Formats: sequence, structure tokens, C-alpha cells
Amino acid sequence: MEFTKLFTQTQVERVHEASLGILENVGMLVRNEKALIIFAKNGCQVDMETKMVKFPREVVEKARQTFVPTYTFTAQDPKFDVTMPGNRPIVVTGSSAPNVIDPKTGEERRATSQDIANIAYLINELPGFDVFSISTLADDAPEGQFSMSRFYPALKNCKKPVRSNTPNMEDLKIVLELGALIAGSEEAYRKRPFINHHYCPVVSPLTFDVESTEAVIYLTEQGLPVYGTIVPNAGMTSPLSLMGTLTLGNAEFLGLATLMQMIRPGAPLIYAVLSTVADMRTGAYAPGAIETGMMQMAHTEMARFYNVPSGGYIGLTNAHSNDAQSGYETGMNTTGALLAGADLFNMGGLLGSLMAFDFGKAVIDNEIALMLKRMKKGYEYSEENLCLDLIAKIGPGGSYMDTDHTMKNMRSIAVLPKIATREMRRRWEDQGKPDAYSRAMKEANKILSKPNKSRFTEELDAKVRGHFSGLVAGDVDWSL
Amino acid sequence: MLVVIDGQMTERKGREKMSVQDIYDAVVAFDIEKVVALVKVEVEKGTNVSDILSDGLIGAMDEVGQRYTEGEFFVPEMLMAAKAMKAGLEVLKPLLSQGESTKKGTIIIGTVKGDLHDIGKNLVSMMMEGAGFEVIDLGVDVDTEKFLATAKERNADIICMSALLTTTMPFMEVTVKAIREQGLNLKTMVGGAPVSEDFATKIGADGWSPDAPGAVETARRLTAK
Repeated sequence: MEFTKLFTQTQVERVHEASLGILENVGMLVRNEKALIIFAKNGCQVDMETKMVKFPREVVEKARQTFVPTYTFTAQDPKFDVTMPGNRPIVVTGSSAPNVIDPKTGEERRATSQDIANIAYLINELPGFDVFSISTLADDAPEGQFSMSRFYPALKNCKKPVRSNTPNMEDLKIVLELGALIAGSEEAYRKRPFINHHYCPVVSPLTFDVESTEAVIYLTEQGLPVYGTIVPNAGMTSPLSLMGTLTLGNAEFLGLATLMQMIRPGAPLIYAVLSTVADMRTGAYAPGAIETGMMQMAHTEMARFYNVPSGGYIGLTNAHSNDAQSGYETGMNTTGALLAGADLFNMGGLLGSLMAFDFGKAVIDNEIALMLKRMKKGYEYSEENLCLDLIAKIGPGGSYMDTDHTMKNMRSIAVLPKIATREMRRRWEDQGKPDAYSRAMKEANKILSKPNKSRFTEELDAKVRGHFSGLVAGDVDWSL
Repeated sequence: MLVVIDGQMTERKGREKMSVQDIYDAVVAFDIEKVVALVKVEVEKGTNVSDILSDGLIGAMDEVGQRYTEGEFFVPEMLMAAKAMKAGLEVLKPLLSQGESTKKGTIIIGTVKGDLHDIGKNLVSMMMEGAGFEVIDLGVDVDTEKFLATAKERNADIICMSALLTTTMPFMEVTVKAIREQGLNLKTMVGGAPVSEDFATKIGADGWSPDAPGAVETARRLTAK
């Protein structure tokens, strides 16, 4: 598949050059002490007083030499391991929403660890999703168990790669302890680290924070999987032009990538973004806007220039329900990103610009994910696929319905949706005119009403619960 | 786009009124230099200072607020008008008599400890200024001690706290509690994407709003005498 190009090679190189210029002349504010020391040791000009760091271009270019082209998400079950780039986009749930749309009442409320257990199981079963980024926070978390109340129900109920963040080093280390316990030993865990860490260490414009940066440094040192997302917001934290925001965001990616390569040359990277354009009428955050897709397309083109996997939070919506807006925002932005060659789509299950998880939205996004994967699979060009013999055999006026060729391909050539309707109107009316949302909730109910075969074994669960006292239950508990 | 009001004058408005109207127009046209120059001219002419203030500067900001509400003005236009208004106010400040109020109230604002995300806070800060409040913006990562010390020093009316991260929200409660414990006559407002009305009620904050314009309304309500 040839990818969409927005820029000429000269223009791509100019954006890169301009980004180097920003890092060299404007620099970045680095609030994290360890990062300041790493930058100073590796050739940056560091002012320890003002915490300003300037990056000579040869320092960034040196870091670029050790970029690697792949990134692997490891899973508890090796059959779910997935490496980018590949022949399909990697689809990930959207994460860390504080709220959930209650599946019974349809009202928004704070999410709990039990919601996380239900969501984890649902994502485990939906084939469009490759990685479960823990969708919500857990409002019922006991004191001191903010992160455990998220990672335990997630890992207990989902064998796909689990991804999320932690608010501080203490929580990060407890989560890694949980990983080692599940793996059997620290050594076993290091061989197959199935918790994938994600942070936003860069706060635009051009600032490294304290805590997230600390976590990125630690995980990179340890050789554990971690990547960051760059999130400029045009008009607010970056220039109100697509080119200006692309260049600033690209500089921020290079700043973060340089830090990681200084710590461990060859550390895998993802050029991940959530570059948005603010709605200047009110200042509203607009991740569902078409410009988010346009920004992703351009960043992906830059990622290809650097030969690193790309993606980000793409396919989010500002809509508060599963209406037309939620569909076209997710659909249009992900399609654009796919055509530009993006590898990673953090897109599933969230409404209201990352504020609330919705079970129906997750099921609908699963179907969108399957469509994106179909597009990426593409035409499979071959002489055989031209079907010239068959066309000659059937001739004008015949039918392809009852050929072996059709029988062979009928289950694989097209996406066979469970949510999209293809019935005649009368049949649909007879069923009570169900919309996409009600069909999606029916599907969620079907999945979640069955026992979870991927749950921890009783033995493993007893071991985990024995090791960490006072854990939330973390089990699937579903009824509509 | 610059929108300039056509300063149509009625017969009964005298020359003085007309000049104050020019100040009003310059604020609505975001022309900082012109506002400053016009205010200086009026002061030299001996125009009543409180007329310059209420009919010129503050009156213009009411118009700006109205245009924003109607969707005609965008946020940056409101910001620029507020800057023009403030520039004019700086010229007047030394001339205002003791107790003559130039402001609707004093607000201390910042993101809470551990939180560096300040887009929303900046938006609220700017809109509060636009609405005539004196705003002391403490920036990001502000702890309880700093909020309280500044509030006491500036004799503030409201402390506004912002958080984007759910992990930093508990610091809002810490500050609200400290105010209660010290028996301070201060209102508190909380906001930010994850901050709900329920949460605000639970921690005992006096005000909450889902967005920046609502925050201004809430502040007006809380400071109404």
C-alpha cells in the first residue's frame, strides 16, 4: 500500500531542520533534575538555575542514529504479542477517563475497578483491539492503591498487552512488582514485559515535567517498554497554524526521543501524538476535530522520515453519546491516519474528549478497527487475484454466486459487520428500529454475560491476593 | 478581524461623553496604545475619572462579554480587549480615590500541587480579568501554603483551583480544609476536566463550573454583596 504524502521531500527535510533549530535556539524547559543531568552529560547546554536546555543539532542527530524502526507490545499470552510496523494497524483503547457511562442507566458516573474488570474482559474478546490501555480510573481505589486498583483488574481479565501510566514512582514500582508476580519472577517478567508504560512527559510548549519524565527515565534505564505521546494544542500551547504545530510537536518528539536514546541507545520509540487545534470560539479542546486527523497524517509522514513507528490518540470524539458525530469524528480521523500510514491508533471506547468510557462506543470502535484493518490489508495484488480465467469462464450474463472461488473467499474478502445494519427497512422496523448503539450494547451484553476464560487461574489469583493485601475484587460482574 | 464600533452619538451626549466613547470604542477594537493615549488625554482635560472608568473601560468590557456570549468574539479577542482595558486602568489607578472600586473582587488562581496543565486555568484567569476581577495568577503547581499566604496578603475574595489530573484533585480538598480550619473569610472555586459538581460539593468548595464562562458567572455570584 502506498501511503498518502502531504509534503515533498524538501518540505519534510525543512520541518526537520526547523525542529532542530527550535531545540538549538529556543531550547526546552526541563523540570526534572535527572533529565537535566542526562542532557548535560550528553552534550546539551544546560542551565541548572533556569532549567533551560539547548540541544546542539549534532546531539539530536547523534540520537537519531540509534532510532530503531520497530516497537513490540508484549502480552501475557504470546499469541497477542504484536510488533509495529506490521500489516495491520495496532488498535488500542483510549485511556484513563475518570468516568464511565453506566451501562444500565446511561448516565455518566465515576468509573470503578469493577468497570475496569468488565472493560478488560470486553477488550480481550473484541478482535479489533490489539492492546488494552486501561480505559478508566478507579474511583473506589483504597488508600494507596490508585494504580493497583487499575492494573490488577486489567491484567486479571485481559491477556492482550496492557498499557497505562502511573502517577508517581512508588505506584510504578508496585505495578512492576505485580508484573513480576504474575510472570513468576522478575527475570521472567523482564523477558516478556507485558505491561506497556505510557506517559506524556512533555507539556507543550517545550517543557519536560517532573513525575512522568522520571518514570520514562527509569523505564528506559531498565529496558522496559515505554513511550510518550506529544500533545500540542494549536492556539493554546502551540502556534495556530498546522505547520507551526507540526514543527513544534516534531521538535518536542525529537527532544523526548533524544533523552531516551541518551539513556539507552536503541531504546524502541513510537512517534506518538495527540496534536489538536483548539476551538478558538470558546477555547474548547477538540480532539474529535478533522484537524486532529490532519495533524496525525503529517506527524506520521515525519515519523516515516525518521523510520520509527507512528500513531497516537487518533479517532477520539467530542460527542457525548454514540450519535452521528461520534461516528464521523472517529471514522474520518482514523481513515486519514491510516491512509497516511499510521501504525498505532489509540481510539477505542471513549466519549466526550477522553472524559468517559462507553461500552457501546467500544463495540462500535471495534467494528471501525476491523474496517481499518481491512483497508490496511488492501488489494493483495497478484495475477491470480485478477481472476481472468474465472471471468472468461462465467462470461457475459452469468453469475459468480455459486463458484468455488466465491465459496473460498466469501468469509474473508469483506468485513462482516455485527453492528452495521444491512437489512431492508421493514425487517429493521420489526425489530423495534434498533440504532447502532443499541445493537452495540446487545453485543457487549452477549460477550460479558459469558464467563471469562482468560481470567487469572485461581492459583495465580490467590498468589497475587496473598502478596498484596486489601486489593479490590477485580472480577467481571455484569448485568444490564 | 477587527470590529470597530461606529460611535454614533446622540445630541444629549456632550464632547466629554464623546471622548469617553472613543475610549470605549478603542477597547472594543483591542487598540492598547490608543486606549492609553485617549485615557491620558481625558485625564489632562479633567474629565471625571470614574466616568472614564465606568463608561469607558468597564462599559466596553461588558460589551465585549456580550459579543463573546453571542459568538461574535472569539477568546483571543476577549483577551486582547482585556489587555487594552487593563492598560487604560493602569493610567487611572494613581488618580482613583481611596475606596473607589475598580474591581468586582480579587481572585487568586492556580493549578494545584503536582499539576502543570494550565490551559483551562489561563482561560479562566483571562476571562475573570475581562469581567473586571483583579486576578492574581500563581501559575502552576501551587501548594496550599502559597494559596493561603497570597490570599491573606492580597485580601482576596476567592481562591480558584484547577486540576487536569485526577491524581492532583485531592489537593483541592486540602486547601479548602485549611481555609475552614483557619476560619478565613474566603470563597473557594474548583474546576478542570475531571472535577465534577459532586466532587466540588463533597470537598466543600463554594463554587464549581464545567467551563470558563461559567466560572465567571460563579465568581460573580459568590462576590455579589
